[in-house]
Amino acid sequence: MFDVFTILRGNWELLLIGQYPSGPMGGLVNTLMLSALALVIAFPLSILLAMARISPFRALRYPAFVWVYVLRGIPLLLVIFWTYFLVPVLIGHNISAFTTMLCTLVIYQSAYLSEIVRGGIQALPGGQYEAARALGMGYWRAMSYVILPQALYNALPSLISQFVSIIKETTLGYIINLQELTFSANQVNNQLLTKPFQVYFILAISYFCICYSLTRLAGAVEHRIERKRKGDNGSASAAKAIPELVSTDLPR
Amino acid sequence: MKPMITFSNIDKWYGEYRALTTINAEISKGEVVVVCGPSGSGKSTLIRTVNRLEAIQGGQILFEGHDIHGTDANVNRLRSRIGFVFQSFNLFPHLSVLDNVVLSPTKVKGIKGSAAKKQAMELLDRVGMAHKAGAYPGQLSGGQQQRVAIARALAMEPPVMLFDEPTSALDPEMVGEVLSVMRGLAKEGMTMMCVTHEMNFAREVADTIWFMDAGQILEKATPEVFFSEPSHPRAQRFISDLRSH
Repeated sequence: MFDVFTILRGNWELLLIGQYPSGPMGGLVNTLMLSALALVIAFPLSILLAMARISPFRALRYPAFVWVYVLRGIPLLLVIFWTYFLVPVLIGHNISAFTTMLCTLVIYQSAYLSEIVRGGIQALPGGQYEAARALGMGYWRAMSYVILPQALYNALPSLISQFVSIIKETTLGYIINLQELTFSANQVNNQLLTKPFQVYFILAISYFCICYSLTRLAGAVEHRIERKRKGDNGSASAAKAIPELVSTDLPR
Repeated sequence: MKPMITFSNIDKWYGEYRALTTINAEISKGEVVVVCGPSGSGKSTLIRTVNRLEAIQGGQILFEGHDIHGTDANVNRLRSRIGFVFQSFNLFPHLSVLDNVVLSPTKVKGIKGSAAKKQAMELLDRVGMAHKAGAYPGQLSGGQQQRVAIARALAMEPPVMLFDEPTSALDPEMVGEVLSVMRGLAKEGMTMMCVTHEMNFAREVADTIWFMDAGQILEKATPEVFFSEPSHPRAQRFISDLRSH
């Protein structure tokens, strides 16, 4: 146990920021930056993708369907390889490991997140969309003021676990030499040679702390919204909707 | 005087099933039309075609001279001038009562927040719900929710209000509070089209009753005539069934 603190004292800079400033930014900071960026780009993209998936227009629905099913059917590692080898060929110059991993995570996670968002949207009673349209709101207004606030809130627990898996998936950047936390830990391990358990214990604890606090934070946010609506959020009564009101194939 | 809403030769199909058959009718300004008839007769379908929640396969519906189902119709603009009240209320559960009422005037009409709030409070007061402005829909009874839904529809200041079985999802003791709000609206001269099973309301408030069965309007009459001497045999049977209960 004492070893753990010694290792931390000797290598905290490498674990935190990699070789920065003499080399590229790495370590924990890079892991967090990559996760945050991937989330910030993938989440809005997944909302658009979900909307395309349930769009009445085939030209939107079919590509979104293919996107989601192809990406859910192949392992993340393969997507990394494809991005790593294919993208430089396509655009004619090399891209950094960070960009490669960011693209991969955005592409891959958007597919998963979009299915969660789609589920959230489709779980709402059809009357919500109809009521918004009947008040004169167009598709985008109905979506942004009525449908998505409810759908995303209801999908929050699933969304959070997907966000957490983004953080964990950044570790796969290791195989394309992305200098993130796992890469740093491995460097430390290579220097010490004799203390793999202690090093990887530090690594595991670090990931756990990040992911656990994110889950707790999300739980607190959820609780706060719930308290504001005082328990019953009313969709129970809206869900009493009569079958004839549930049709959602509105002309737009 | 030009009618406010004109149905001409409306046909509506659900696949092979013909839900509406050659509907021809008119609603004038200030008129209160109550649509009644047995379940499955097409009443709700008909009222939902007026603001294009249902598409039609034939005919034309004119609202203030605009063809609602026309390809170049500005649906959002037309809908914002047609108040619609649903059987299942459909309040937005993530917004407070006040925000439910304010949402559309501010986001669709672009009215300023403070002015919209003032108007919303007046409307909530009118439906007897001002004391619940800060509550969330989940905390309200069905009757209260429906009254808020009426205020929400009125907030767009529509010249016509449509009610699709507004009291059918309510417990019996809450029907009265919603009907009295509707009665008040009718008295103030609001143009209304109501689908309802509340025959006392129809008798008291309607200017005209449309009796529907199997997707057709079989009879249009004043309440006096409809309830005492309906001319269509199907309407006669409907009335005698009402009396026998």
